[in-house]
Amino acid sequence: MADNNVYVKVENLTYHYPDGTVALTDVSLDIHHGEFIALIGQNGSGKTTLSKCLNGLFKPTKGRVIVDGLDTRHSSITDLATKVGYVFQNPDHQIFNNTVWKEIAYGPRNIQLPEDEVKARVEESARVVGLDPSLFETHPFFLPKGIRQRVAIASILALRPKMIIVDEPTTGQDVKQSLEIMDFLKMLHEEKGHIVVIITHDMPIVGLYAKRTIVMAQGRILADGSTREVFSHPEVLEKTFVEPPQITRLAQMNADLGFSKDVMSVPEMVAQFRRIAGE
Amino acid sequence: MNKTILGYVPEESPIYSLHPFVRVYFLMVVSLWPMIISSPEWNFALIVVMLILLEYSRVTLSTLKLYVPVSISMGVLILLSYTILGGRHPEFYEVFNLLGVPIYFERIVAAVEVYMRILPMIFVMVFFLSTSRERDILVAMRWARVPFTVTYLVAMSLRAVGMVIEDFSIVRQAEKARGYDPKGKSIPYKLRQFVMYIIPLMGLAIRRSEEFSNALVARGYSFTGLRRVKRPDYVLTKYHFKVLDGVIVAILSVALIALVYARYGLGLFTLEGSLTMKWLQQWLVGGAG
Amino acid sequence: MSAVIKFEHYSWKYTRTKVPALQDINLEIEEGALVGIIGPNDSGKTTLAYSMNGLIPNQYYGVRSGSVYVMGKEVKEYRQAELCQRVGLVFSDPEAQFTAMTVEDEVVFGMENLGLSIEEIERRLEWVVPLTDIGPLMDKPPYEVSGGQKQRVALASVLAMQPPILVLDEPTSMLDPIGRKKVFEVLRRLKEEYKSTIVVIEHSLEHLVPLADHMVLVHNGKVLLADETEPFFERMDFLMEHDVFPPGVMEFFFQLRLLGHYPNSLPLPRTLEEGTERLREMLVGGENG
Repeated sequence: MADNNVYVKVENLTYHYPDGTVALTDVSLDIHHGEFIALIGQNGSGKTTLSKCLNGLFKPTKGRVIVDGLDTRHSSITDLATKVGYVFQNPDHQIFNNTVWKEIAYGPRNIQLPEDEVKARVEESARVVGLDPSLFETHPFFLPKGIRQRVAIASILALRPKMIIVDEPTTGQDVKQSLEIMDFLKMLHEEKGHIVVIITHDMPIVGLYAKRTIVMAQGRILADGSTREVFSHPEVLEKTFVEPPQITRLAQMNADLGFSKDVMSVPEMVAQFRRIAGE
Repeated sequence: MNKTILGYVPEESPIYSLHPFVRVYFLMVVSLWPMIISSPEWNFALIVVMLILLEYSRVTLSTLKLYVPVSISMGVLILLSYTILGGRHPEFYEVFNLLGVPIYFERIVAAVEVYMRILPMIFVMVFFLSTSRERDILVAMRWARVPFTVTYLVAMSLRAVGMVIEDFSIVRQAEKARGYDPKGKSIPYKLRQFVMYIIPLMGLAIRRSEEFSNALVARGYSFTGLRRVKRPDYVLTKYHFKVLDGVIVAILSVALIALVYARYGLGLFTLEGSLTMKWLQQWLVGGAG
Repeated sequence: MSAVIKFEHYSWKYTRTKVPALQDINLEIEEGALVGIIGPNDSGKTTLAYSMNGLIPNQYYGVRSGSVYVMGKEVKEYRQAELCQRVGLVFSDPEAQFTAMTVEDEVVFGMENLGLSIEEIERRLEWVVPLTDIGPLMDKPPYEVSGGQKQRVALASVLAMQPPILVLDEPTSMLDPIGRKKVFEVLRRLKEEYKSTIVVIEHSLEHLVPLADHMVLVHNGKVLLADETEPFFERMDFLMEHDVFPPGVMEFFFQLRLLGHYPNSLPLPRTLEEGTERLREMLVGGENG
């Protein structure tokens, strides 16, 4: 089982909330370098709980989570924060400082980096998310939501975690903003080599960006595989109140005409149409 | 168990068949008892009764652990303020001398008395919080004909507190996710971090209060117009004040009056007549008085 | 059909911003119609919604010009409580619009404000609770209800007031795909069975497009396009230039049209079923039933 490519290993993870509610039951999975994963499922299916176990915010009730060789039960928060970054859904929950610069510097200072290193990281993270240095002295509270979200991501990137988890990146955004955010995460994934995990209800976005999809239902993993494969089984997804993107369903309803069941985008569908019509 | 703002309440409990007003009345009246009773052993008896009631109400007793640190630190605080910080009183009996600070017998007695009054009050409070949800408080107030504006203000404050507590737990998680580890840090450092929570909490509060008041206005509740249509109270119609509820309220009221009479009319439950105090005197003073 | 909401040269500028949020809006919403309002964030959609139920100008500071008529009467002439009975508004942030301590209190609150009788409240609960699928939540406090569930509760509390006009601001943003579908199913029933006038602001067009009678594109504070749904989407080039992303099936047929596979004379399909039918006509010929 010694697989060098594994970054996070979840073994028989069970998690109970303090009041005894069972949130996760016997979940096992591996996350590898180079993956772009979507975690989907009904509200309350355990997606968020699972993702919070991955960075040690929640400690397993039973089983274990190993992140880059560290067991989350026995590792310090500081160590884990540099392994897995977690971007919360609402940027307002994660803005602690009165200037953008201090906000991004907050994480690196928490892990007690020397000031010149902090400065270098702030500048680098701001550049990566496209924040103009002229904003450094602004109070983050007064920035538009899209920019606040970028500040939140930059402040996570400043800790240089290999893996970042983004909770509902597109909720409350219009489609253009959603695509911009996702393109940015894709850039982090492809150019900077980050492992990206998104938690989302937005199936067209999953179809366009995620290579692997994990489907949760009632605290268990219902399906786990390539997004194409997972979306080819709408009957499984339905159990957790999810359905594939509309274009995928169009292809699936017309599979008998020769459309494949794993169409993920309109251009793909058009290409298949031309092939079938041309025959 | 079900979550409330301040703790947990059991899923099922025989206590739920009582009208919420009875539970609030119990809280108000029974927490007065220790103020009347001076003798520690009677107050201890009340603690035992409360424990039996908690068990009977199917409250998971392990949730009481939450209140242990509060109780202990309160005890220490009281003992310290009465003894070491109690000043010099040559007229009192000095039990021993702690690095030049005289510790008086009378002061220890007072500390024990006060602490044994506060403990049962805490238990009564815990019993209430472990068997009643926020809604019960509101129903009790509305049933007792407290004006709607007042009950609604209470409801909104409860809701606001709930929102802040929820936000607070997310904010703390967000802070941990940024590598902040409070373990082994100095107190001033921790305090500074605590102040930092205020930034996101205030921000959220400001953004939400606008939407919150919009939501109220859109639901036809105006803050300004006092002349409104007569409000029906749908929720109250779901609760019935039964004979048993009336009997319990009566017993609690009579017991309170009887207790006042016993204490001040008959001179029972006093410190002087207390067995605990006699025993303390034997042990610390050695019968000398 | 008559217009139940009518904007005439309406402009609004918030005091705190430099640019007007809405500029010279002329728009009519017909009785019984379901109207979809789309456009990028911060383009003025929410301001438009607030202008329909009087939150603007009553709750906000700003400069207003032109007029907005609701059922023939200028919004400014209404008392707020009266307007709330005509225009129900579901807000986009489900957290802040939950103002009570249980789901039941929340749903009942608006009805109590209207001064309805207990029997009428019960009757409406029996209707709205199964309709919005919130039965199992009725006893829960807000912090045990997820964002998506809160959105269903918000819808229920406004529906319970039975306003003839319903305005929904991104009512499904936090729901899972099937939950989203269910909310639109509720809107369909309201439209068909109760002839309600419904205005929906949405980003995700998949469920809106099949239901909408009219569509409105708002961009930078202006209405750029308003038309019946079919002709509206015939302006696809214009829409896509302004960052409108049509549902997958519609976009697919639009692409086919650009490639010359799908005739201009046929409308772009609005549903999956319609799309399938067209696709089969094109690929299999007329053999479909």
